[in-house]
Formats: sequence, C-alpha cells, structure tokens
Amino acid sequence: MSDTSQTVGLGFRLRNALRRVLNVLAMPALAILSAFLVGALVIWITSGQFETIFAAYGGMIRGAFIKQRGFSETLVAMTPYVFLGLGLAVGFKSGLFNIGVEGQFYIGAISAALVGQAFTGLPTIIHLPLTLLAGALGGALWAAIPGYLKARTGAHEVINTIMLNYIAFRLVEFLISGPFKDPYATAVQTSRISPAAELWSFYAIPQRLSDPLNALFVALILGFLAWVVARWWRGQSGADRMAGLQRRVPLLAAAIVAVLSFALLPPLTRLFWPFQDEYDRLHVGLILALLTAVAVWWLMWKTTIGFELRTVGANPNAARYAGVNITRNIVLAMAISGALAGVAGTIEVLGVSICRCLPLFFSSGYGFEAIAIALLAKNNPFGILAASFLFGAMRNGADLMELNSGVSKYIISLIQALVLLFVAAPAIVRWMYRMAAPRRPEEEAPLTRGWGG
Amino acid sequence: MAATTNALPARRTVVRGWWVTPAVIGFGLLAAWWLLNLVIGGKCDDQCVVSTLAQALRVATPIAFAALCGVICERAGVVNIGIEGQMLMAAMVAYATNLFVFQIAKDIIGPEAAGVMSRWLALFTAMASALLLAALHAVVSIKFRADQIISGTVVNILAIGVTGYFYRQFLAENLPPGPGTFPITPVPLLAQIPVVGPIVFQQKPLTYVMLLTVVALHYVLFFTRWGLRTRAVGEHPRAADTLGVNVYRTRYVNVLIGGIIAGLGGAWFTLEAVDVFNPQMTNGLGFIGLAAMIFGKWNPFGALAGALIFGLGTSVTATVSIFRPDIPSQIPQMLPYLLTIIVLTGVVGRAVPPAADGQPYEKS
Repeated sequence: MSDTSQTVGLGFRLRNALRRVLNVLAMPALAILSAFLVGALVIWITSGQFETIFAAYGGMIRGAFIKQRGFSETLVAMTPYVFLGLGLAVGFKSGLFNIGVEGQFYIGAISAALVGQAFTGLPTIIHLPLTLLAGALGGALWAAIPGYLKARTGAHEVINTIMLNYIAFRLVEFLISGPFKDPYATAVQTSRISPAAELWSFYAIPQRLSDPLNALFVALILGFLAWVVARWWRGQSGADRMAGLQRRVPLLAAAIVAVLSFALLPPLTRLFWPFQDEYDRLHVGLILALLTAVAVWWLMWKTTIGFELRTVGANPNAARYAGVNITRNIVLAMAISGALAGVAGTIEVLGVSICRCLPLFFSSGYGFEAIAIALLAKNNPFGILAASFLFGAMRNGADLMELNSGVSKYIISLIQALVLLFVAAPAIVRWMYRMAAPRRPEEEAPLTRGWGG
Repeated sequence: MAATTNALPARRTVVRGWWVTPAVIGFGLLAAWWLLNLVIGGKCDDQCVVSTLAQALRVATPIAFAALCGVICERAGVVNIGIEGQMLMAAMVAYATNLFVFQIAKDIIGPEAAGVMSRWLALFTAMASALLLAALHAVVSIKFRADQIISGTVVNILAIGVTGYFYRQFLAENLPPGPGTFPITPVPLLAQIPVVGPIVFQQKPLTYVMLLTVVALHYVLFFTRWGLRTRAVGEHPRAADTLGVNVYRTRYVNVLIGGIIAGLGGAWFTLEAVDVFNPQMTNGLGFIGLAAMIFGKWNPFGALAGALIFGLGTSVTATVSIFRPDIPSQIPQMLPYLLTIIVLTGVVGRAVPPAADGQPYEKS
C-alpha cells in the first residue's frame, strides 16, 4: 500500500479517497432523502395541500437551526442520541440486539438522580464523576442481566430487554412517586441533585472555574487528554527510535497543559467567553459525548477487548474455537452497551432537566430512534455523531413544525422508520433509483441472529 | 448457518420427561395461589376466583393472538418482532373505523344495527391494516432479504409513527361517542356448565375466535400438507426447495396469515377491551406474545398455555390491587414482565427454534 501511495500522484489519491467517501455516504444520504420524500408525500396527502410540505419542513429547519437557541438545542437533543447510538452499536458489533437501551436509560437516570441528591457538600471533582459512574453502573447492571441470561440459558435478549424496559418504567415510577419523592415539590419528582453534581452548562463555565477545585478538575481532564494525544502522536512517529527526554513527551505535555490551564483558564474565561446566553441549555455533556465516541472507537477497533467482542459478534463458533470466553464477552458487551445508555440517562438528569431531578413522566422515546441511528451509521462511532445530529435536529425542529403547519410531530417517527427501512434494505433504495447492484456483494455482516444464537 | 443456532450450548443437557413442564407449571400455580391468599388474606371467594380466571382468559386473548402469529411466521422461518406494531396499527384502525362508520350509518339504519355493522367492519379493516404491515415485513425480509429483526423493528417504529400521527391529526380532538365494544356473548348451552361455563363460554367474540384459531392452527400445522411444507421451509428451506416446495410463496403466505391473526389481536384492544385508543395501548403485549410462543416451543397449544400464564399474572395482580390498595400499583404491574423473563429462562430452558428461523433464503 505504502509503495503505491508514493508512486501515484497526490491528486489521484485525493480523488480516490473522495470516491470512497462518496461511496460510503451515498446509501445513507439516499436513504435519508427518500425517507423525507415519502414523508412529504404523507404530509401532502393527509393535509390536502401541497404548500403544507414546505411549511412543515421549513418549520422543522427553522426550529432546529435558525430560531433563537435552535442550534444549541439541537446539540442538546443530539447528546443522548450519541450515547444510546454508541450503546446499540457496541451491541450490534458483538452480535447482540440491545433493544432495551430505553430501560437502561431510565435506570441510569434514577441511579444518577439518587446519588446526585444523596450527598451535599462534596466538591464537583468527586461528586460529578461519582454520579456519572453511578448512572453508568446502573445501566450496565440492568443490561448485564439479559446478557447473563442469554449466555447461560439462551433466552433471547430482544424479549428480555424489552421486558426489562417495562419493569424499569414501573420501577422508576414507583421510586419517584414513593420512597424518593421530593417532599417539598408540588410535582412528583425526586429531590434536586446537589449543584456539585450538575453537568456545567457552557454559560456557567467561567463562574464554575472561579472555584480552584473545579479549575483543578478541568486541568486534570485537559492534562489527561493532552497525554492521550501526545501518546498517540508518539505512536505515529515511531516510539522505538526515541530516547531520553523524547520518551517522556506525553507526560511532559500533560503536565504543561494541566498547569497552564489551571493557571490561565479561570482568568481567561472571565475575560472572554462566547456563551453569554443565560437560558442556553448547551452543556458539557456534548463534549463528553464526542470524547466517548472516540473512546468507543478506540475500544472496539484498537484493543483486544474490542477485537474479542467483534469476533464473538461476527462468528461465535470461530470465537469459541479460538478460545474466546463467549459468556464473558456477551455479558461484557451488554454491560458496556448498558453503561452508555445509563450515561445518556444520567446526562438528561444532570444537564438537561429543568429541575435537575428526575420527574415522573420522564418519557424520552429515545430507544427506538437510537436503533435507527446505529444502523444508519453502520455502527461507526463517527457516523453515529452525524446521525445523532440529524435526529437531534429533527426532534428539536418537530415542535415548531407542528406549530407552523399543523402537521403532527409524529411524522418524525414515520420518517425515522423509513430511514431505518431504507438503510436495512439497501436493495429498496437501489430499486427506487434504478441503481445497479454493486459488483462485489456488499459486506453485510449479520446484524442480529435468530432466537437460538 | 444452521450451526449458529447451537453456538452456545447449555452447560448440561438434561433429558427430562414430558411431564416436567406441566408439573412445574402446576406447582407454580399452586404456589402462586398460596402466596396470593397470603397477600390478600383469603378474601377471594368462589365468585372472585371465577371472575379472576375469566379475566385471565380475556387478557390472554391478544397475547395468544400475538403468539399464534409468531408461531405461524416462525414455523416458516421468518422471525416477526413487528407483531407489536401490527397490533397497534390494527387497534387504531379498528377504533377509527368503528367510530366513523357508526357516525355515518346510525342515521340511516339506526344505532343498534349501525353498532353491529361498524364493529364487524372494524374487525375487517383491523385485519387489513395489520396485513399491510405484515406485507411490508414480508417483502423486506423475504424479497429484499433484510435482517428480519431489523425489519420487524421498522414495522414497530412505523406503527408508532403512523398511529401517533393519525391520532394527533384526527382522533385526539373531542369525538362523538362511538358504538362501544362487542357485547359479552355467552355460548348457548355451554355457558351453563358450572365452573367452566362462566370462565370460558361467557366471553366476547374474539376470545372464541382465538380459541378456535389455536385448534385450527394446530390441525393445519401438523395434519395438512400445507403445515408439513411450512415446517419443512422453517427447518430446511434448501431441502424443501429441492423437493419442489416454493419457499418464497410459503413464507409470504404464512407471514400474511400471521398478519391477519395479529390484526385480530390488535382489534381486541379497541373492540373488546376498551372503547378508546391511545398510542401506548399495546404496552408490550406483542412481545409478551413472542415470549409465550417461545414458552410454548412454537406449538399453538403451548403458545396458548404461555399466554394464559401471563393473562393469569395480570388478572391476579388486578385482584390483588382490589383487595390491597395499600400496595403501590407499580409493584404488581411489574409481575407479568418479570414472569415472562423467569418463564423464558427458567421453565423452558433452552427452547429450540425452527432451524432456519430468522435466516433469509436465497434461491440458488
């Protein structure tokens, strides 16, 4: 490969890369386009007016991007999708259909809400990670149950996770309205979490950083990131040839970044900060989501754990033959998947909910949409970022669309189902646009397996 | 590909007699009965027992329909997790038809006759709508050979979207009263039998239809040529194809008939249970039906047994909440779902599905 890349010109390589990217993107793009076209047809037929289509889609676009705080609300709506989509993708890659992310989302949310309100006076540097961990753990445990049952008894995870969804709804409802009801609130909800456990909104960052402990927290995180990036850079440029000081580049970079950000960030953010809108709900969960996407990519494609998980997903027989512990991997895959879903629920409590608590009727309906996201992205973490952005925009724009055109926002579900349909059966899209079948059969790994496997 | 079905063997293979499962069920029922009496303090008299059991059969009806739909699809090798969506769609369409036909017809032929007409018409439109979704599932999974579980999920999301859309657009505002649900129709003579009569033969029509479907499906699956071909297609489509069975046609027919059965199950919600529609109506009963199907080892009578267990779970929790209002309602509401998990893992152990279940077939 490296030889040819040196001999052929840069333009050719660029064009080749471009063509490859276009090839990968063509199907999802056509699927989305077709889904919106069919959606337009439905709007036209049910409303009886052609103009309604433009009113509806125009309203959706304005609601999602143009209106005040529209864009940042889209990013807010996108955040849970990223986690849930990643959770589903980890499951799919491991041969598991975790249809129960919704339940894990709820369990994660309630765990976080309970841990968040349990302590007062803990500093953010302890309380926030603890709460996030609690949410992840709650989701992971909830998902590990069907994983274990599948591995041990063969009970199919689709049925079991759906049953656990309903149990989770009832359980959370019971906990909110019973033992953990906020006695001082008129609405049925849990108590407000400690401010230290909140995910910071972008608006509040300068104010938060004025506390030295918080600044230390941020400095440590940034230092760690610098360490990771430097390690990666060192790996790129051949670590063996380096000696002495160069070997310690990652650690040095981490230290420098940490010290600099600890010293400079608080005053700098107070001097200049672009997020001045007090009612903007954009929060650092978005950054967490981006980092998690990278982390999941690294875990699944760059580590032994991920390799084993993907092997079990692609061919369990071969995996077992090669000595991979299938039970452990199934439980692990479900736990990772559930942890991601749990974090999504946690973020809804810590960063999005107005009351910074878990209210009753905390209906999200994210679960099924996350399936469409993971499949649309072909389980690629970065594709999931893009698909989540699309779905977040649709969800966010739906309200203004309904207000503008009178078209019910359930049309979104319809469009999402169609996207999923067209992505799941690319032959339909090819048939619709009279496209030739690919010469090489597409690499279609079985996404799920029958009841027995 | 068939090897994937036994990719994860159970730790040990237990050879056990046919009597084990019934015995476990019987023992479980006795234990449940004892627990129930403990909880409600023996306040449930004979009348209450009979009505609880009748209620169990009533609640089991949609679950059994879903399970039968699953049986007929999966015996032909098509996994159908879109049953929930098909039922939801049928429930909405039945409700809308019932309402609108009644409004039009009541001035022409009088409310009494219009009610009868609209209900039966609604039953047919319900079946037709579920058939439509089943056709989508069939085309996507058989012709386009998409992943069948994904295809079923598409059906589910689509049903949520379409029903929600129409509900918000047309059914959410103040509507004139509809003609109501089917009345209870006791079967002549049989309804007079002491205990069985009030439980089984004083029900609404769809419950009878369900019981008849179970018998009919059992006969058709195991005693007719079509049943043999269906099972052959589900077990080894290539061999069936070699012997001249049209695999695609068999699968299409089975999934479509399954759609009709699911439509009956959906109609139950708005034509028998209550006279309203809401978008979360089916509440997972379609999936519970699939669990009942697995519990029944892909046999119609087994599926009915599974459905009855869940029906019993639901009706018993209802009875408990009448006598013990102090128990938070969410706790007993969890029980049927919990029961499903326990049944799936504990009692059945490793159920063996039809060998080609879930695998697209490509004619070579």
